[in-house]
Amino acid sequence: MTRGALQPMKSDDLAQSASPVACYVCQAANTREAEYCRRCSAPLALAHQALGQRQRPQMVAILGPSGSGKTVYLGMLMDMLSRETHRLQIVARGAFSIGLQQATVSALARCEFPAKTGSEPECWNWMHCEIHHNIAAELPPSREGHARPGSRKRGGAASGPDPSVELVMPDMAGEAILEEVEHPQTFHVVRELLRNSAAALVLIDASELARGQRGPDFAAMKVLSCLRELELRGGEGRIVRRPLALVFTKVDQAEVCRRNPEEFARVHATGTWQYCRQEFVDYAFFAASVVGCCTWLETRGAGRRRMPLRVEPHGIVEPFEWILEKLYPAGRR
Amino acid sequence: MQRHQDKLRCATIGLLCLLCIGFGLYAWQLPMLIGGAVGIVYTAVATTLALCHADPPPVETPLPHAVTASAADRPADTDDTAVLVRRMLAQSRHALLLRKQVVGNLSQDQFLEACEQLHARMGLVPEGEVILRNDGNDEEGEFAGPAAAAAEWRIHVAPVFLDCCAVTNRQYYEFVAAGGYRDMTLWDQQTWPAVLDLVDQTGKPGPAFWQHGRYLPGEDDLPVVGVSWYEAQACARWLGKRLPTGAEWVKAACWPVATDGTAMIQRRFPWGDSLDRSRANLWGSGPNRVVAVGEFPSGASVGGIYQMVGNVWEWNASDFRLGPQQSYGSGAPLKSIRGGAFDTYLDNQATCQFESGEYPLSRRHNIGFRCAIGTCDLVLALPRNEALPMADAEPSTCEVLHV
Repeated sequence: MTRGALQPMKSDDLAQSASPVACYVCQAANTREAEYCRRCSAPLALAHQALGQRQRPQMVAILGPSGSGKTVYLGMLMDMLSRETHRLQIVARGAFSIGLQQATVSALARCEFPAKTGSEPECWNWMHCEIHHNIAAELPPSREGHARPGSRKRGGAASGPDPSVELVMPDMAGEAILEEVEHPQTFHVVRELLRNSAAALVLIDASELARGQRGPDFAAMKVLSCLRELELRGGEGRIVRRPLALVFTKVDQAEVCRRNPEEFARVHATGTWQYCRQEFVDYAFFAASVVGCCTWLETRGAGRRRMPLRVEPHGIVEPFEWILEKLYPAGRR
Repeated sequence: MQRHQDKLRCATIGLLCLLCIGFGLYAWQLPMLIGGAVGIVYTAVATTLALCHADPPPVETPLPHAVTASAADRPADTDDTAVLVRRMLAQSRHALLLRKQVVGNLSQDQFLEACEQLHARMGLVPEGEVILRNDGNDEEGEFAGPAAAAAEWRIHVAPVFLDCCAVTNRQYYEFVAAGGYRDMTLWDQQTWPAVLDLVDQTGKPGPAFWQHGRYLPGEDDLPVVGVSWYEAQACARWLGKRLPTGAEWVKAACWPVATDGTAMIQRRFPWGDSLDRSRANLWGSGPNRVVAVGEFPSGASVGGIYQMVGNVWEWNASDFRLGPQQSYGSGAPLKSIRGGAFDTYLDNQATCQFESGEYPLSRRHNIGFRCAIGTCDLVLALPRNEALPMADAEPSTCEVLHV
């Protein structure tokens, strides 16, 4: 004999489960319970976060070959701006956004570099953050297709309107970036990100260039050509207008670059320099370093590794500020 | 004098060899010809070597003579000595005047003035033990250095004077103006080829960020930066001092206290155990540049030594320590630097224990130095008969230490 039992219908839950969630990066429809996008493997946490915001976050691509310093740069940027010593302040959205910052700073404090970012998209760190500026009137009205900075109160009644912008900056594996650039459709998420990002930071290893190696120059040129191809394919005109910050990293080993990054580019990264001049409108060269000195250390049984001897960040925030300035020009503030 | 004798000897040997060759040709004696030729070659080599080891260019200032002046060579004219002493005191070379080889040339007033300057500008670090660690963590679990293998050293430090402030641009200029970069006796012989490359932005001898052999206006009291380890060492020698060892430096900063004879209490920072950014010029707490050496007085150590943490890293005499299982994968060994700088970002790298390394020829924007001198190298008290010891007299250790 069967007995009947009353079971409440969770109609709201059912309705929510039935409605698909669009991936933040590639817009593919996914089920609500999925953790990663079925198409591009980007974490759906970004989409969930974005749904809760009044403004859609913009994407800034951090690009560069493996070993160019993307993880360290991004981790340090987050950590520096999350301290209250800078006029720009970052608030991480979601615990997953703090992971990279924590991993980077913890490793550097132990005089180690953070572990290499895995090639699979599931291993990448995705930073979703809110950026506040201390000057209330500095942020602009919305641009078509871009985020409109919100206006809300923070820090109690004493603080005035506090405009903010939301950005998503993924820390992708350098191998994946170059693989996608050289063999399209290998990493779908990379292509979507390159296509949809509002601005890009391309990191170039200055220490290798200073030693006369051309590898970083070629890698940067490949990335730039891919950016150009994607932008011109979807739009009009023959010149790329997306803001592009070219950041020479590890300049603690190339002092001459610190003094004049553009001249360094002209001399040591001739291809990249020439390509930018011909194909891009909004671009600038920067020099950045996180550590003050590095050495190679041979440990018996553990092999050879590069050891950062101390942390002295220089030029980390400037490229990011420049990007923000380009996305939200001061003239319109 | 020695050089003249060498030249005379070479000339004589050369003449004899020529005579041998001439006689050999005249009599067609092969042994004579060979002997003469060998002699000529020897003479040529000896002459070349003599030229290579010629005395370094003379220094403009007569001050270095005071270092080696023996009792017999003392200036006869008292006024000259007074001028010389006055000039050396103006150049902060008090330690040189108080060295036992020199102090005998001083009058009592001059001696007292030198002592006064020494005590005003240097702090005494008392004798005792200090613990250095490179196990990565200090006793409270704080990371103390990059070397991975656990190691701890308990080192006995003899009493030493340490500069209260890092060497300033003004002080370093005295060294440059006195011909410090040309006086090769101040430099280790293996560094001579590098000295020619130690120039400022205009190609003149001097720190990397100077121009035309001078520091920039308004930077008199800033610590000198852009100097390599060798330049720091040479300047210290010129001042009659030396670079501090790592143990001396840490002892001056940590100010360790032995509690029951075995346990040691060491401060993490010169002012205590917790980081107070208002007491040091570090990343985020200062103007993001080097400041004058007298600033941040509240961060001074117990011994009255300023800026042991923050403002500029300081060269130590010691090599950068690696663990017992470690070696440099490539590149030259590093020299030890300590103390952190205005752009030191991480809190655990701004402690007294933390040691970093740098290539000895690097000339960084945030590395300076301060000098030290052991009390055993100085005469700091008048003997009982109120007469200064002669230059070659050996003061007993007790006399020195009971000052």
